[in-house]
Amino acid sequence: MNGSEDVDDYMSMAIVEPTKPEKETSIQRQARRRREAELRARVKSKAEKKADDDAARDAALATSLDISNKGFRMMAKFGFKQGDTLGASKDARAEPINIVVKEDKGGIGLDAEKKRKFREEVEHVAKRAKAEEGEYRERMRSEREEKRKEGQLINAQKVAERLDTEVKEKGVPAEKTDQLPDRQGINCTSRRFTEPLNSTNILWRGLLRRRLEKEREGRMRYDLAQSRSRLPTYTDPDEDEDDRRALGKEEKSNVLEEELEEDDPQLEEFNALPVNERLEKLVLYLRDMHNYCFWCKYQYHDASMDGCPGVTEDEHD
Amino acid sequence: MADRRPELEDNSRVKRQKVIDGSISRMRQNGFDIDQKNDPSKNPYLAHHYSAAQDDMTNSSSGLQNFKRHKTMAKDAKAMEDGPHNPFTGNALSQQYMSILKKRRELPVHAQRDEFLQLYQKSQILVFVGETGSGKTTQIPQFVLFDDLPHLNNKMVACTQPRRVAAMSVAQRVAQEMDVNLGDEVGYSIRFEDKTSSKTILKYMTDGMLLREAMHDNDLTRYSTIILDEAHERTLATDILMGLLKEVVLRRPDLKLIIMSATLDATKFQRYFHDAPLLAVPGRTHPVEIFYTPEPERDYVEAALRTVLQIHATEPEGDILLFLTGEEEIEDACRKINLEADEMAREADAGPLKVYPLYGTLPPQQQQRIFDPAPPPRTPGGRPGRKCIVSTNIAETSLTIDGIVYVVDPGFSKQKVYNPRIRVESLLVSPISKASAQQRAGRAGRTRPGKCFRLYTEAAFKKELIEQTYPEILRSNLSSTVLELKKLGIEDLVHFDLMDPPAPETLMRALEELNYLACLDDEGDLTALGRLASEFPLDPALAVMLISSPEFFCSNEMLSLTALLSVPQLFVRPSSQRKRADEMKDLFAHPDGDHLTMLNVYHAFKSPEGQENPKQWCHDHFLSYRALTQADNVRLQLKRIMEREELQLMSTPFEDKKYYENIRRALVAGFFMQVAKRDGTGKTYVTVKDEQNVLLHPSTVLGQDSEWVIYNEFVLTTKNYIRTVTAVKPEWLLDIAPTYYDLDTFKKGDIKTALQKTVDKMRRKEAIKGGGRR
Repeated sequence: MNGSEDVDDYMSMAIVEPTKPEKETSIQRQARRRREAELRARVKSKAEKKADDDAARDAALATSLDISNKGFRMMAKFGFKQGDTLGASKDARAEPINIVVKEDKGGIGLDAEKKRKFREEVEHVAKRAKAEEGEYRERMRSEREEKRKEGQLINAQKVAERLDTEVKEKGVPAEKTDQLPDRQGINCTSRRFTEPLNSTNILWRGLLRRRLEKEREGRMRYDLAQSRSRLPTYTDPDEDEDDRRALGKEEKSNVLEEELEEDDPQLEEFNALPVNERLEKLVLYLRDMHNYCFWCKYQYHDASMDGCPGVTEDEHD
Repeated sequence: MADRRPELEDNSRVKRQKVIDGSISRMRQNGFDIDQKNDPSKNPYLAHHYSAAQDDMTNSSSGLQNFKRHKTMAKDAKAMEDGPHNPFTGNALSQQYMSILKKRRELPVHAQRDEFLQLYQKSQILVFVGETGSGKTTQIPQFVLFDDLPHLNNKMVACTQPRRVAAMSVAQRVAQEMDVNLGDEVGYSIRFEDKTSSKTILKYMTDGMLLREAMHDNDLTRYSTIILDEAHERTLATDILMGLLKEVVLRRPDLKLIIMSATLDATKFQRYFHDAPLLAVPGRTHPVEIFYTPEPERDYVEAALRTVLQIHATEPEGDILLFLTGEEEIEDACRKINLEADEMAREADAGPLKVYPLYGTLPPQQQQRIFDPAPPPRTPGGRPGRKCIVSTNIAETSLTIDGIVYVVDPGFSKQKVYNPRIRVESLLVSPISKASAQQRAGRAGRTRPGKCFRLYTEAAFKKELIEQTYPEILRSNLSSTVLELKKLGIEDLVHFDLMDPPAPETLMRALEELNYLACLDDEGDLTALGRLASEFPLDPALAVMLISSPEFFCSNEMLSLTALLSVPQLFVRPSSQRKRADEMKDLFAHPDGDHLTMLNVYHAFKSPEGQENPKQWCHDHFLSYRALTQADNVRLQLKRIMEREELQLMSTPFEDKKYYENIRRALVAGFFMQVAKRDGTGKTYVTVKDEQNVLLHPSTVLGQDSEWVIYNEFVLTTKNYIRTVTAVKPEWLLDIAPTYYDLDTFKKGDIKTALQKTVDKMRRKEAIKGGGRR
């Protein structure tokens, strides 16, 4: 040590920004003063006052006398130190007896009983809240799970639609084609509808139907915007074929319209199944039909599907 | 417990023996010769005195001179007691004496007189346990007299009592038993009253009185045996005496000490006194069945009343003792029980029920009524009547009422509490201890098997009640005690061997208070003022106030006021005539405060009009005759001390406009540490330094417009009250108690600001005055 510690290290010295005392504007000051005056002027209720008094008393009761007390110095003369007790015995009292003011006529044990009951109640409420919380979590979890599955289902449907369409267009091994529903593939939503909706593959018909509904809605909105004064469904008795073509009113759209209006009990039945089951059906369909594992996201070359760990999602973790 | 005791006793006896031997041999080595030094008969210089006494004895009495001190047997003493002459006076024994003697012989202690004598003779210190009713308080001192023969050595036997009333009544009883006049051979000494004479050989006294005597006679040389009775009550004075006597017995091997306790946990006393031997005499008790409530009670008073009435309706003959906490509660309960019992008698043909209150401040003749027999059946052969006594815990140990079979115990009593942190000493309703509960239950088994109804659950008894009631020393302001101990020559209070030392802060506060009162200097040594103050049997603040009163030209008035502050409540306020009582009080009211009002009362009482028929006058004016006569007596005693200490007695002429101001200033000289200042303009006051919010007690005559007040008492209830208040000026505080009102020691706040303003004002005035003079 050569006194180097005395030398201030200016480099490491933190330079404190001089904190500017917040200047109180006259309005702020006025407001503050008014607030303070109001606080002072407000007459406290009896209960508040009592609570204040009790708090002051309890605070004073909890503060022990310390070495600043004159008596302490006199006691120190005889070797008394802070924390010592008096007398010759070891187990002497260190703290004054606490003062408890009884405020009512409650019998012995009533307060304890009240406290016990209160505690029990609190515990009970806490327990119930916890149970409810658990339930809520469970519900949230399952809802989340369902949503996730729903998303997976849609994905699987898309894959199935794509693969089915590909097969239709390319031609497929014979043994598998007959299992395919007899219809034309649909690979583009905007293309003219050639096949009745209710004869498409039930597994992904829902997807298709939703898409078509969306399309129709979009078109209707478009039509509405284009038609200016007319409802798209309005048929002008004076309108001829050319007019209709010019206005974009085509027959087919009406067919689709009808198809979409129709009930589809088959689809409803399928949609009533739990999402798990629907997904499972799709996964199995993809495996059987296309050697495609939804979980591996891979189309295998043969039916043995070498390398795929299994049928369920868990097996793919 | 019972079967273990004899064994315990034997062991300790042996141990004790060793200690005694040790101490005696030590004494011898130190050059003391006990026999020569302490037996006056062996002292050649006292021979004339001794032979005269001896002659006197032979002339008048009948054979005590043949007794060898500390070598007597029970049968010798019994023969003496049988007469025909009184062994102490030589007079023929009366018929009354003989009939009492027969009853005395039936008391349980008599069966063990020899055993007692053996232990007493063998050991310097003895712990004696006898339950109430065993006869220990009246008989043991007499047993001692016949063996200790104090008259032969010009000594006395002292027997201490925690209460004044007990000391007086027991002395009265024992004087009767010994067939002597009270004040002759048997006397008593209590604060402000000494009924003893040069003949006295047995002196009943309050423990506080013995302590005061020790201040002048540190070794208590006037006594050959000291009996501390009711030691289980652990009063402040008894605890201090035990600490003191523990040292005195080492200095005085000839002094014998008996500690008497009514409860069985006497092992603590044994341990404290170096394993002193113990003798236990069983009381005459019967089994008591204890009942608990299944649920805690919502209102213990209501539950108590219900229980009493139920006992009256359903239980067989036997009196009821109900414990409640204070005068008001007791009077209220008595009224309600009376009402209900009357209705029960009318409607349900219940027997008559007589209800008596019992509490400390009840006039003695009314206290006496509790011994009235239970009322007879309304019609011959009808349902028996019974009495119900509603009492504070006086009936727990000190008073024995025969005929009690049922005890109702709500589990509360009013207990003194003191906390040095906020300097509050107050009576608070608190749960009793297990020991108290057992004692209460025991009261039911005095005459025959009884029942005790505890108005709490068994679980609450086990969990909520503390084992033993805290001894008083842990619940008291010790400034008085510290002053006494300093006077007793005990310098090191830190290591003074007390049975239950209080919290250090309690001692700290006491020393500080005494320092502010200038009774102790900064080193903790007694000052001249402190020495003088210790001469007064008063609180140091009161003593200092009295001593300094000549400086304010009003010592006569302060003498009266001190006396008035030392007695119970002056004003009587019966609940049925509150308004009338308040009107009467207003006659004496002084606008500046309660102290001055009390003084007005005293002056009116002493006026010719008041003295014409004082009892009637007090009754008419709703004043306590007892308190006023007591105050008169206290004043006389204090006046004697004043005269002895050559303190001037004087008054400011009443016409002088400073008459009352001087008195108020003199009050400040003692009570400057009990001052409160009004908080803003409201009703609340804040105590100086401790900063507690307080209200003026509703009984005050003081208007609300006094900025500064001094108070006599800080009372804790559901609200904090200051009681007995008088208005003062801040200038006086700064002037009379400059050390306490050193502004540097004050916390920032309203009080400091106000005092600072006063200081500035005083300076300005001083400057103007000074300027004017120049």
